Amino acid sequence: MPYLLALLMAASLFSTASFASIPTSCDNNTDCIEVGRWDIGIALGYGNKTNPLKDYEDIPLYAVPTLAYYGDSWFFDNGNIGYTLTEGENYTVNLITTFSNDSAFFHRWDPSNIFLLNADGSHGAVAPLASPMTTRNTPDPKSIGELENRNFTYLGGVETFIYTRFGIVHATVAHDILDVHGGMESRLKWLYNIPLDRWNFEFAAVLDWKSEEVVDYYYGVRASESLYWNQAYQAESALNKSIEFTGQYVLTENWNLLFVARYTDIADEIANSPLLDKDYTSTYFVSAAYRF
Amino acid sequence: MLSKRKLLYLCFLAGSLLSQSVFAQNTTEESAPLLKLSPEICITSADEKTCDIEVTLEWGQLTNKTICIISDYKDLKKWCSTSPDIHALTVNISADRDIQFVMIDKDTHETIAGVKLKVTPASPPQVRRRYRNPWSLF
Repeated sequence: MPYLLALLMAASLFSTASFASIPTSCDNNTDCIEVGRWDIGIALGYGNKTNPLKDYEDIPLYAVPTLAYYGDSWFFDNGNIGYTLTEGENYTVNLITTFSNDSAFFHRWDPSNIFLLNADGSHGAVAPLASPMTTRNTPDPKSIGELENRNFTYLGGVETFIYTRFGIVHATVAHDILDVHGGMESRLKWLYNIPLDRWNFEFAAVLDWKSEEVVDYYYGVRASESLYWNQAYQAESALNKSIEFTGQYVLTENWNLLFVARYTDIADEIANSPLLDKDYTSTYFVSAAYRF
Repeated sequence: MLSKRKLLYLCFLAGSLLSQSVFAQNTTEESAPLLKLSPEICITSADEKTCDIEVTLEWGQLTNKTICIISDYKDLKKWCSTSPDIHALTVNISADRDIQFVMIDKDTHETIAGVKLKVTPASPPQVRRRYRNPWSLF
């Protein structure tokens, strides 16, 4: 927490140069949005998000919404709320709220799963299948009983963008502001856009660091779930590594074809948890997207 | 040394001259322009860069003069009235930049007045950087 406060203080120093500057150009590497106007869209198609949790179902994707509003300084973008402290031609510093994507594996209605419907229509898109993990009072000491809740939480912090000719560097540091796990997350992302006529390709590489509190809250085993694993698995801070690809083909002013793919290599510190049976998670989504 | 009476007189004289000059200036400013253009500004839309508009030039005060209108608009290089009784001219304009109209005396070619039609593009919507990929799947 003291680190976060120090960052916030440092960032607030920047804010003395009040935000008024608009980017000098919305070039190929910088997506722009009209100030004071809602950007609403929906992508309809098919995709899948694998669930690394043992005995939990993958999450099919049929519809993904996008909802954003940017004021002069404040902005709301797909559940993230932010305030631009300062911005120049080559950089931006924002105060932001964001959310962890870890709880999405446990909860159907987590924001990361909004509009992601179950293939068979039941509401158990991410509910565990019948398995040893759901069986209580089993004689096997290594079996895990029904999991307690892993709640969703908001994170608050600071993010910085640095715009270069070699792409955009995006760094975020955020802390749990709802005191659900009291942990901290940090992210370093590099992304690069390649526009080709009606196509636009975006490539990104991401490093996602999660503090021990975050890892323990989501992937640690509670004593009520398994006494054995509660002792055997000790959570540590972890660094996930991801690559992302977004391809868009402009059909008309409102319609785009959309291709999204992401692969995340889950850190050993998390993959070693007995709750997981995969050390990766992948997502793909092919759709037609409409912007209102 | 000036007596009080002379000083008072000089002050009065200076004051009256000053007030006359201010009055004269006001009179000039408030008098109707010799050549009036309506409308004076045309705003182009964001989609179309040209301004298509009908404008009217009026010169009501010059009752005893036959005048000519010259401009830098391609379709109205020079137009001359046929009689002093004509006091207005309506022109259809299609332009992407300002147009200057000048009124001259038809006989003496003396410049009498001028007006400008301003062609202004509609201000583009204010934009700023978007910090998230709209389809990032969180």
